[in-house]
Amino acid sequence: MSRTLISQAQIGRGRGRYLYWAIVVAVLLIFTLIFIGPLYWMVTGALKSGQEIAQTPPTLFPKDPQTRNYTDAWTNLNLAKLMFNTFYYAIGAVFFQLVFDTAAAYALSKLRPIFGNVVLGLMLATLMIPAMVLIVPQYVTAIDLPFVHVSLLDSPFAIWLPLVANAFNIFLLKRFFDSIPEDLIAAAMVDGASPLRTLWSIILPMSRPILGVVSIFAVTYVWKDFLWPKLVMPSPETRTLSVGIYAFSGGTPMNVVVAASVIAAIPTVVIFLIFQRNIMAGLTSGSLKG
Amino acid sequence: MATMTSVPETSRKPLSGAYGKATRTRRGRKMRDNLTGYAFLIGAIFCFALFSWFPMIRGIVMSFQHTKRGVTSWVGFDNYVRIVQDPSFWTAWKNTAYFTVLALVFGYVLPFVVAILLNELRHAKGYLRILVYLPVILPPASALFLFKYYAYDPSDAGLFNAILKFLHLPTSEWMQSPGMTMPAMVLASTWMNMGSAVLVYLAALQNIPGELYEAAELDGAGLLRRIWNVTIPQTRLILALLAMLQIVATMQVFIEPLILANGAGTQDSATTVAYLIYQHGFFQNDLNGAAALGVIMLLVLAAFSAVYVRLTTKQD
Amino acid sequence: MSVPQYRKVAALALVAGLGFSLTACSTKSDDDTSKSAGGKTVITVDCQPDGSQKDLLKNWNDDVAAFEKENPDVTIKSVSVGQQCDNPPDFTARLTGGTMTDVFYGYMTDLQQVLDSGQAMDISQYVSKDTIPTWDSVDPALKAVFTDDNKVYAVPTKNYSMGLLYNKTLFTKAGLDVANPPKTWADVRAAAKKISALGGGVAGYSEYSAGNTGGWHFTAELYSQGGQILSADNKKADFNNAQGKQVLQNLKDMRYGDNSMGSRQLLQWGDLLTNAAGGKVGMFVGAPDATTAIVQTFQGKYDEWAMAPLPGQDGAAKGTLGGGEGYFFRKDLTPEQVKAGLKWIAFEKLTPGKGQFDYARAKPQNQPVGLPQPLLFANGSDAQKQEVDLRKANQNLPTENFALFEATPVPIKGEPANAQAIYAVLDSAMSGVLTNPNANIDELLKTAETKTNQLLASNK
Repeated sequence: MSRTLISQAQIGRGRGRYLYWAIVVAVLLIFTLIFIGPLYWMVTGALKSGQEIAQTPPTLFPKDPQTRNYTDAWTNLNLAKLMFNTFYYAIGAVFFQLVFDTAAAYALSKLRPIFGNVVLGLMLATLMIPAMVLIVPQYVTAIDLPFVHVSLLDSPFAIWLPLVANAFNIFLLKRFFDSIPEDLIAAAMVDGASPLRTLWSIILPMSRPILGVVSIFAVTYVWKDFLWPKLVMPSPETRTLSVGIYAFSGGTPMNVVVAASVIAAIPTVVIFLIFQRNIMAGLTSGSLKG
Repeated sequence: MATMTSVPETSRKPLSGAYGKATRTRRGRKMRDNLTGYAFLIGAIFCFALFSWFPMIRGIVMSFQHTKRGVTSWVGFDNYVRIVQDPSFWTAWKNTAYFTVLALVFGYVLPFVVAILLNELRHAKGYLRILVYLPVILPPASALFLFKYYAYDPSDAGLFNAILKFLHLPTSEWMQSPGMTMPAMVLASTWMNMGSAVLVYLAALQNIPGELYEAAELDGAGLLRRIWNVTIPQTRLILALLAMLQIVATMQVFIEPLILANGAGTQDSATTVAYLIYQHGFFQNDLNGAAALGVIMLLVLAAFSAVYVRLTTKQD
Repeated sequence: MSVPQYRKVAALALVAGLGFSLTACSTKSDDDTSKSAGGKTVITVDCQPDGSQKDLLKNWNDDVAAFEKENPDVTIKSVSVGQQCDNPPDFTARLTGGTMTDVFYGYMTDLQQVLDSGQAMDISQYVSKDTIPTWDSVDPALKAVFTDDNKVYAVPTKNYSMGLLYNKTLFTKAGLDVANPPKTWADVRAAAKKISALGGGVAGYSEYSAGNTGGWHFTAELYSQGGQILSADNKKADFNNAQGKQVLQNLKDMRYGDNSMGSRQLLQWGDLLTNAAGGKVGMFVGAPDATTAIVQTFQGKYDEWAMAPLPGQDGAAKGTLGGGEGYFFRKDLTPEQVKAGLKWIAFEKLTPGKGQFDYARAKPQNQPVGLPQPLLFANGSDAQKQEVDLRKANQNLPTENFALFEATPVPIKGEPANAQAIYAVLDSAMSGVLTNPNANIDELLKTAETKTNQLLASNK
């Protein structure tokens, strides 16, 4: 591995070595405590009774673990449905972003139609507009689409379509496509391949890393977004996990809310742990090379 | 992202001109190529138009209107005057600025320090990275309810107070104490979000050529000097970019006050501008006032970006 | 396939994709079939109990089945919107977005907001003895609440007034007389001090200060002092005065003078009830049905709870907050749908012995029967007599628990205009006095007054 701030030699011998190992152990302990500790507290806290959780000082292990909070959370909040919704929206978001944003970036990078730069400029300008500024007019638009007068409320398109308007993705993809040698494409064209065919069989296969990054961003975004789904998914049947748990928090015992929070976190934590190698690699390399 | 600020202008010939036999007229081909291009663009343009460009204009228009029982009238700057006269307006800006500053100190510096530390460790790298990133993938509501109910419990039964008490330190009332509201929100927010920034920094750190450190060390530069003279200049672009992104993000902080502080927080100590927009738009049935607030926020951020661009380009 | 065709396909695919996406969403809102399917009138109704209230949910579903059997031409689709049917921000968003159900739940205070949104139907011509058999027995004062400009917009389905709920077990433990609950705020303070002295994290008196509930209780307590939230013409705030100060001063004395309100503040609806169900609250201001929630949702015991009239400053309270709820009708319903909706409300909410008045069913389910609520029918009306007789016959609450509350009527005052938005403003005054030992009451009220006046100006 290449050299970093501190040279390999310095930590390889004598006092440096002891110091290094002391730091490694300390970091391991502290980081585990900081990042796993709260999760442990959450999982075990929801196993405690209402009385035990209010006890001073708090108990490290539940004295009399009961799963009631978890079963209540699962049934009362209809978590299965909320989870399904969230995944459904996330997958749809990936699909729509990949299709429309890739097509747009390809057009801007390789086909370059007239006024393409103006369009790109207008798109990039939206990067400067904070989401909160648009929330009210966007909502008013979503509840009554101009000309067609259709309401998108409770329809997954209310989440999918605004996500396509993501200038950052288009920028990332365009930058990546720009780096694909022109010769390759010219060769394909000479062979009579259409733009769609070129995109499909030359550009996309070369762009897997960046497509992976865009997909991860899309999933994380849907997963973490709160206010927009709260506004456009008002029915209990269409809510996302975060919105659903929040909606129930006001009238649900505290430990049940936390139990629901734990259950809600499980699927992504599992998926993340299984694919962490790919996700980490994608996040650290792909986005920067773009 | 690293290259964002140095976009090389591509001056290559549009490739669509490379195909198409010379059987049709030049103009016809050009036309057809443009149509093809826009056929690929139409989906994105449609979505941008509907959910970005049009709402932007509509927001500005709405801020000068008043709608009551379906009747809309032009009211000039009435909404702005009303919004600015509301005592909550200044409280919200004060709180938002405070949150942004705190988030810059903690949420911005901390991940950089952590990234430098992790980059120096030769062992357990994968494990530590997973740890740091783990909170990022929790649903935000999950993480915040954990803080709200367990960590920030103002009695001694709360996690943080129990730890403080164990260490014989003074306990806090956390969200119930106006002075602690913002620091507590930044703490939770940093825990939840710092993983992504750490990963970005780690990638940037790995791109620093080792020879630079080598050279600095030969010049007799100590650890801190090397960080100051090599690490920071080498990652300047990414540091600057993330600072901007962070400021834009923290200025819109919403879910933290909503869940941790039940919205406004004790004595309005958690009211942020984003929360105020929400309150006007979806609580007080005052969409026009909310639109005016949005425009004000846009102007503030635009002014901020202008100053920022000025400062960063001067250095170059 | 030749090159140009490929391009056409690409363009078509994209356009078709978009077209599809639009039609896909439009199918959702444009289905006129929902109004009458196969000759049946279909209506959607919200505020179905949610899964955490198992008995109530089962009762509701049974009622729907029974109603549909009686009225084979009507189909009811129930929608559950959460534990609090009317969570103010969600309710406002539903109105703005037009996503209310055909027959939708609202608070009595929501009338202005509903009218402003232009989403409700004038049901004057439909509501009568023919659609709601007990209509003439319904308290005229309640009908008036949902009437604007001589037009009726909603049917009242619940009515309550607030009093002082207290935990008899804790009272006994603290050596207080359960038959002689506090009558004045000074009594409350003294009792709270004794109860909190029991230790174990028990709050003698507990109070809201978040999620609009703080403002709601401030209002009730202000009424007990003889004050009012808004001036008579609804144009100015009217709580920044001696009465308003007294309300906050009482709380400040208990919170920081005696430390008898527990350490957890910033409570909202569910938080306080959770603590109360856990036996950690001695007294709180509330409506009789707070005990229902304590039992049904928060797993507490209702026979622990008794209710006294709201205390006053130097004697009986000068007033108490009354509120309630009803069902509105969407403006785009067909006459058949409105009639079906009214019939359903009559069945579920306004018929002694059925729906919410089916005390014979509620009793074995261990739901509290005998609460002096919902007070829907006018005094002396037939329906009232029937309802009270049925209630007495199935009563499972010790009569004395609510006897004092019933025997000592306090003048009832409704909620102010723009109630929910004003409550949100007043929350910060409440949280100020409950979380800051050095809170400046004058300043808190002054700020709340300015904000309220701003808010009224925006709604003009």
